[in-house]
Order: sequence, then structure tokens, then C-alpha cells
Amino acid sequence: MSALLTVRELRIDFLAAARVVRAVDGLSYELQAGRTLAVVGESGSGKTVSARAVMGLLPSSARVSGSIRFEDTELVGLPEERWRRYRGAGIAMVFQDPARSLNPTLRIGPQITEVIRLHERLPRAEAAQRAIELMEMVRLPAARERFQQYPHQLSGGMRQRVMIAIALAGRPRLLIADEATTALDVTTQAQIMELLRDLQRELGMAMIMISHDLGLAAGFSDEVLVMYAGRGVERASTQTLFSRLRMPYTRALLEAIPRLENPPHARLAAVPGQPPDLAAGFRGCPFAARCPRAQGDCWENTPELIEHEPGHRWACWHPLGLEGSAEPELLAGRGQRA
Amino acid sequence: MSEPLLQVSDLVQEFAVRARGGTRVGVVHAVSGVSFQLEAGETLGLVGETGSGKSTLARAVMQAPPPRAGSVRLRGIELVGLKHRRLLQARRQMQMIFQDPFGSLDPKWRVARIVEEPLVAFGIDTRQGRRRRAATLLERVGLDPGRFADRRPRELSGGQAQRVAIARALALDPALIICDEAVASLDVLIRAQVLNLLEELRAELGLAYLFISHDLALVKQVSDRVAVMYLGKLVEIGPAEKLYRRPLHPYTVALLASIPKPDPTARRVPVARTIRGEQPSPIDPPSGCRFRTRCPRAQEVCALREPPLRELDSAHVVACHFPVEDRDRELEATAADELGGRAPAASASGAGESAAGGAPVLGNSVGGRGKAVAGGELRRG
Amino acid sequence: MAVQPAEIAAGTVPVELTAPAAGGGRLLRSGGLALSLALLVVIFGACFIWPLVGSVPRPTGGSVLNANLSIGAPGHLLGTDPVGNDELSRLLYGGRASLEVALAVNALGIVLGGLLGALAAYVGGVLDAVIMRFLDMLIAFPSLVLALAIAEGLGPGEVHTIWALAFFSVPAFARVARAETLKVRERPFVAAAQLAGSRRWRILGAHIAPNILPQLITFAFLGMGITVVLEGALSFLGLGIPAPAPSWGNMIAQGQSVLSAQPRFVLLPSAALCLAVIAFNMLGDALRARWAG
Repeated sequence: MSALLTVRELRIDFLAAARVVRAVDGLSYELQAGRTLAVVGESGSGKTVSARAVMGLLPSSARVSGSIRFEDTELVGLPEERWRRYRGAGIAMVFQDPARSLNPTLRIGPQITEVIRLHERLPRAEAAQRAIELMEMVRLPAARERFQQYPHQLSGGMRQRVMIAIALAGRPRLLIADEATTALDVTTQAQIMELLRDLQRELGMAMIMISHDLGLAAGFSDEVLVMYAGRGVERASTQTLFSRLRMPYTRALLEAIPRLENPPHARLAAVPGQPPDLAAGFRGCPFAARCPRAQGDCWENTPELIEHEPGHRWACWHPLGLEGSAEPELLAGRGQRA
Repeated sequence: MSEPLLQVSDLVQEFAVRARGGTRVGVVHAVSGVSFQLEAGETLGLVGETGSGKSTLARAVMQAPPPRAGSVRLRGIELVGLKHRRLLQARRQMQMIFQDPFGSLDPKWRVARIVEEPLVAFGIDTRQGRRRRAATLLERVGLDPGRFADRRPRELSGGQAQRVAIARALALDPALIICDEAVASLDVLIRAQVLNLLEELRAELGLAYLFISHDLALVKQVSDRVAVMYLGKLVEIGPAEKLYRRPLHPYTVALLASIPKPDPTARRVPVARTIRGEQPSPIDPPSGCRFRTRCPRAQEVCALREPPLRELDSAHVVACHFPVEDRDRELEATAADELGGRAPAASASGAGESAAGGAPVLGNSVGGRGKAVAGGELRRG
Repeated sequence: MAVQPAEIAAGTVPVELTAPAAGGGRLLRSGGLALSLALLVVIFGACFIWPLVGSVPRPTGGSVLNANLSIGAPGHLLGTDPVGNDELSRLLYGGRASLEVALAVNALGIVLGGLLGALAAYVGGVLDAVIMRFLDMLIAFPSLVLALAIAEGLGPGEVHTIWALAFFSVPAFARVARAETLKVRERPFVAAAQLAGSRRWRILGAHIAPNILPQLITFAFLGMGITVVLEGALSFLGLGIPAPAPSWGNMIAQGQSVLSAQPRFVLLPSAALCLAVIAFNMLGDALRARWAG
């Protein structure tokens, strides 16, 4: 069965002040219908930029090459008029900051009905009814009253639910959640993630969830793709990734998360340095400068994301757990230069 | 018994809400009677979500602006009511690191000048002396003065900027540093570096920290004791380990349940079972216990009387009429097992019905079937 | 050129997706900025420097025998006016007067207005209310009417013109300074400075002022254009710079009577005025665009 979304060798460059910044460098992955892919990385990893490419939301300074196939249509190079058929209808997106995404001068109801009527020819009253159904579907309490309210009268969590309702208005087959819960409180975040997961199952949507939080990915995704410096560096089903991770960067991400089980004043295993400057380009593995396992070939040749084991891809010359010898300790204790 | 380094008593902070014309139409009860103390060299974590008042509390402790009521004693000296020079002197031992690493550095200044500012303000040392001290401080936080002293904030990364802020905070040899979401804006790996730096400094300099964050796992890891705030009130304080293993307040339970666990096989309690509805407004907080409108265990008395802080275990204090007991924890664990790891779609909406039956929610071990509180609707998350 | 791994580990390379180029190089890269700067250099150079170094005849005391010479007459590049003064010279010296007034008015605005506005915003409370209400009173008058009244009261003259125009420029700058200070005051580095022990005046001078200055300067450039026109209006009405000393405004006034016969007496100073205003506005806009981001 062919995948819902297939990305091949996606490359995205930005022209900024006479420099070329390679934000995404040869990204490839597939997503089946109904499944959730978590794209995990830090800032500058390219995760958000690649997601925007899937929605056609990149600024004009972006140069995109490679392929993004959604169902049977090639999205790279799609003219703007044809994008309207997909944005909101085939593919929808929920952004990080609901305060910025909702128009503060319009009531909630019209903001939802507007999107509904963009995709379906419905008279006002029916569109309003459908909007209220959507609001109930996203578990927004007192939906009828909220319909008449303004965004500032809603809490952050409620606004995000409205954003989700708007995203679902066009009955998308793919939902992209771009750090959708990062700006929310932790209890609200948990509620919204559970809501998204439930909705996804009810509606049979596929979902791409973009996050910097591996913990969130662990709880809510089927598959995880880890990105670094614009490249995919590890991809596997969630179970596999967490039980058999190979890429030292993935391990660094995992070990940098504070655990409730850690004793007080525990030192986190911290990796020194920072992500590379994307405008400068790099040779070899982008993580080599910070990797405790880096060896000669890591500086010379760039590893590709290859399926070394069934269902598990990684881009590393010296992955973890394969070479038998004890792994060197990550630099716990001394926080090195940021 | 010696006086604690920081003693906060019955702190109250409120802000007037004004309508267009300027008339007062309401009051935001940001902090309503919070008390705690901090010993020298100790790290107290302060956890809360938006609207909890934790950041307002930090600012009130700093006297910027001073609290509406209550007392803040630093090394025995009362800060509330002090002005200008006297306040500056008395407050010298207390510094703060802010959430936005770039916002806390003047974009027009260079790094060396930023770090020297406290020394200049208090007239410490000579120009050369200050330069040298600033260089030492920069080294101490992991920045090479040769390369960073002359940079401007826009030439720094987030982690570097936060290190500069830390260096500045150390300039006056403080006894206490308030970290207000100090690592929230940093990337995961950089965050770990900065946290390690803070721990090293703590060990080396004997610093006390008031560590404020919404991230309970983070707070628990860096703190000796943890305090939990909700809507302007302190609901639980206790040693970090104890709070985690045996939380007493239902809100703490909800916070713990919401933490994403980086283990796909971990048993997850649906959040809807631990907390309901939306946060009420701090302008009009619920009567009695402020958490009652969202609490799965709430009963009539919760609306009538505000629960006082009681010490239930050594140094473990909670403000709740029906604190969570071990029995509840066991029941909850069994229920989560029955649901089996990741809860299927139906249970998140169907579970959590309180009295009627089905898997017990945290509430029901309390004296039989509790009634829903009048006025506090049980809304689904 | 590839970044060396050692540099990354050492932390030399900050993470920026769209790294701005450093410093002043960008200033000149913008076309509008360069053009307006060039224009202003020419205008100021012509009005202030040329008369000092070049052999430009005096703008006053001409002989009636030389009256009304046309453009290109020997020794008089732009001809002479009805009383025999060299027109080019009048244009340059007139420009100097007009520009001096504009510079002084806006400098007063930045210094006095900036101080008042920043103080009002930073200290707040009663002081803020008092300062702003007082300034509101000044703004409430139509600016030209107020300027006229003051000029009428003080009498004509360059310095008096400056005072008259300052009466409304200072409140305008104060408002800008106040708004900007309110924004800057909320930023954490001000709180950090307070915690560091810096006193109020030090914070105002070392933190607030440098951070509001760009906006004030931008405002000043836009104000230069306005001030030049206002000075022109005042002088045109006989209340600014008095004849025989030239200013662009009174030149236009004097040329008015012979407009149909010899339009150049109006056109030349008008064109100069126009050019100066355009240049100031362009520079103000370019700076605002550059500093707003």
C-alpha cells in the first residue's frame, strides 16, 4: 500500500543577507494513513521548515528541491492556486501559538465557519451548526457560548482547541501539529495531546507531530524521526527507537531530559557545544564536533540515513550498541561551553 | 536555631484591573498569603502553571514591585518597606536569572560591561579590578573572556547569553539566586549544560536557589525541597523525593501524571482522571479551596472552608481537606493497569465518572461515594 | 568555507538561521538610505561649507545697479534679485538659516522632549501625569497658530523662531520618548539592572536612553522636514527670519510679488525646500525600516 505522504531528498535553502542557509538537507521519510510520526529536534534542526514545506507555507526566499508526494500529487513546485485544494482540506496544520493564530478582533464562531465554508458550500446556519459540532468534538466546554466569544476570553488551552477545530474543518487526511503544545501548561499539554490522539483515531487521520520533546514523542507517536542540522539522523518505530537507539545524538537528547527517578542534584549527561551554523556548511557528520564517539571518518564523510536493520534507519558511522565495546561516558558533570 | 536565609511570610500581591476609563473593576489575586523559608545552600523548587503566581511571587520577593502585604526577610532583614539605597544594600545578597536570556541583557551593552554592572553600581574595586573580576566570572561560567568580553548580546547564542546572565548574577557574591524559568527558553542539550553549571556553582559557592519552573521533573531533579503553587496559593511543600513518590495534593498528582515520560511502554494515566476543566480566573478565585473546581476529589466542605497548610509527614506540608493517601495510589495503579498502558480512545472520555462506578478515580476512597461539589461542575478536560 | 569542528565545540559559532550581517555595512546597502544621505551631504555641504571656502558673494548689500540679472550672468550663476543680491548666495545662506533652525528645533526636541518623556514614563505616577498634561496643553494648540502667537509675541529673528517652533516639537518628542520608554522599561534587563544595584538616573542614562535613541533620531529626521516647512511658513508670513537676511521662506514671500514675471525667485527656494524635505523624509523612513526589525 502506498504511503499517504512520501518525502524524498527534500532540500530547502534560504537566501538571507547574501548568505545561503541550508535549512533542510536531503530529508526522506514516508507516512502511512492513520499513523503518527513524531519529528523531533532542537531549534535549527529543520523540523519546522520541512513541515511548512509540506503545507506550502515557506517564504519566497526559500528554494525547495526534492519531492513531497501527498496521495498522488507532487507538492514541490505546486502553483499557489492548486495549493488551496490541499491546505486545510487534505493537509491541515496546528501552530504553536494560538494567541497569534487567531484573529483577536473576530469572534470564535466566524473564524471557524469561514474555514468550513471555504471547503464546503454550506449556508451560514449549517456552517455554524457544523462549527459547534467541531467545537464539541475538540471537547471545548459550553460550545454554543464560546461560539460568540472573542479569543481573549478563552484560555490558552481552549484557544488551541479552537485551532484544532479550525484545522479539522476541512476534514484533512493529514494533520501537522507544529509544537502545538509547547506554549501550554503541562496539564493542558497532556489534555491536548490526548485529544489529538483520540481525534486522530476517530477520524482516521495521519499526524505529524513536531516537537523538541522526546518524552512527548514517546507517549503519542507510532514512529519517530530525529533531525539534526537539517538532516534526518535516526528513524524507527517508537518502540524500537527507545529500546534500541543507535545514534549518539538521540541518546544525548534522551539523557538530557530530567527524570523524576533521578536523585536530587543529579548531573545531566550533557553534550558540549552547539548545533552548527547552517549557513557555513559542514563536512562529515554534523554532530561530529560534539559527539563523544567521533572518530576519523566522522569528520570526512557525511553519513546517510540508511535502513541498517529492518524498520530502523540511522545515519552514523559508529552507532551505539553495535561494536561490542563499552560506550564512552557522555560528559556528565562539567557543563562545557554552550 | 539560626534564622533561615530567606523567610517569606503571608505574602500577598494583587493588581488592580482597570476598565477603559481607568476605574478599578476588579483585583487580580496573584499571590494570596504564601509563606515559606529557604536555608542557606538549599534549593527550593517552586512549581506551578500559568496563573499560579509563581513569577509574581519571585518579583514580590525581590520587591519589584513590593508586595501588598506580608513579610520578606533576607538574612533577618525585613525588605518590605525599604526604599532606594537601603533596599539596594539589603537586597544585595539576592540575584535573579530571567527566562529570556536575551531580554535580560541590554542589547546596546557589551558582555564585559554587563557583567561589571553590579560592581560599578556598588562602587567595588577599581576599573582594572572590575575588569579582572568580570573576566574571572566569565571563565567560571564557561566563556572565554578573550572571545566574549567584547561581544554584544546579538552575537551570542541562547546558552551563551544565559551564561552571561549567570556571571552577572554572581558578581556580588550573592547567597541566593532566584531562577525564574531560567532554562525554559533553551534547547534541550544546552539546557542540560546550563543546569549542570548551576549545580556546580551551587556546590562550589554554597549558593541557595529558588528555582521556579512549570516543569516538575526538572524542578524535582535540581531541588532539595519542592513547593507547588496553584492560583496564588501554596498547596504542597515537601522534600523532593517524598513529593514525587507520595504526593499529597491532588494537583500535584495531576502535575506528575502530565509529565511526558520518555518511555513508550510506560503506564500512563489519562490526564482527565486527575484534573478537570479550565483554570478559573485569579480575579474571581473559587471560594474555599481554589483547586476544588478542577479536583476529582472535591466535596462540599471544599467550597466552604479553605484548607489550611498542615504538616502530615515530617517537613511535608499540604493544604487539602482530603489529601491523597497510599490507598488511593494503589487503586489508581490498578486502574491504570486495567486500562493497559496507553488508554484507548473511549476511556479518556468515559473514565473519570466519579460516584457512579467503574474504575475508581482518586476521589473515592474518601469516606464512601463523595458528592460532586455544588457549583463546581465536573467538566471533562 | 566549512566551519571547523573545533570552532563549534569552542562555541564560536552562534546558532542563527538567518544571521544578520554585522554592523554598518548594512547601512549603505539600502538604496534609499544611500541616496538620501548623499543628498543631505550635498545640501548641507552647499549651505554650510561652500560659502566658507568658495568665493560666494554676500547675500545682502547688493547694488541696485546689478538688479535682476538673469541666470548665467557673469559672476552670478543664478542671477540677482530685484535689489541686486546674488541669488545663488541667497539660496545658500538662506538654506543655512532654515537648516539651522530645523537642526536646533529638533535637537531641542530630542534632548528636552526626550528627557521629559523618558522621565515621565520611567518614574510614572504623579510626575508622569503632570508632565504629560502640561505637554498635552501645548500640543492641543494648532501648531502653526501657536508658533505664530509666540513669534508675534517675541518678535522676528532666528533664535525666536527656534523657540517658537520648539514649543510644539518638544511635546511631540516627549510623547515618542515616553512610549518607547514604557516599552523598554518592561524588558528584563531593566529589572536586572535594578537588581544589580544601579540607581534610577544611571538606568535612565545608561540603559533607557541608548535604547530609545534610535527611535528619537528617526523621528527627528522626519521632523526636520516638517520644521523646515514650518520655518518657511513663519518667514513667509514675516514672523520668522527677517529680511534682508535670507531664508527659504522669506525668499518665497518676496518672490511672490513678481511670480508671473520672474518665477525663478519663487521656484528656486521652493525647489531647494522640496529637495531638503524629501531627503529628510527618505532618510527617516529608511532608518525606521532598518531599526524597526
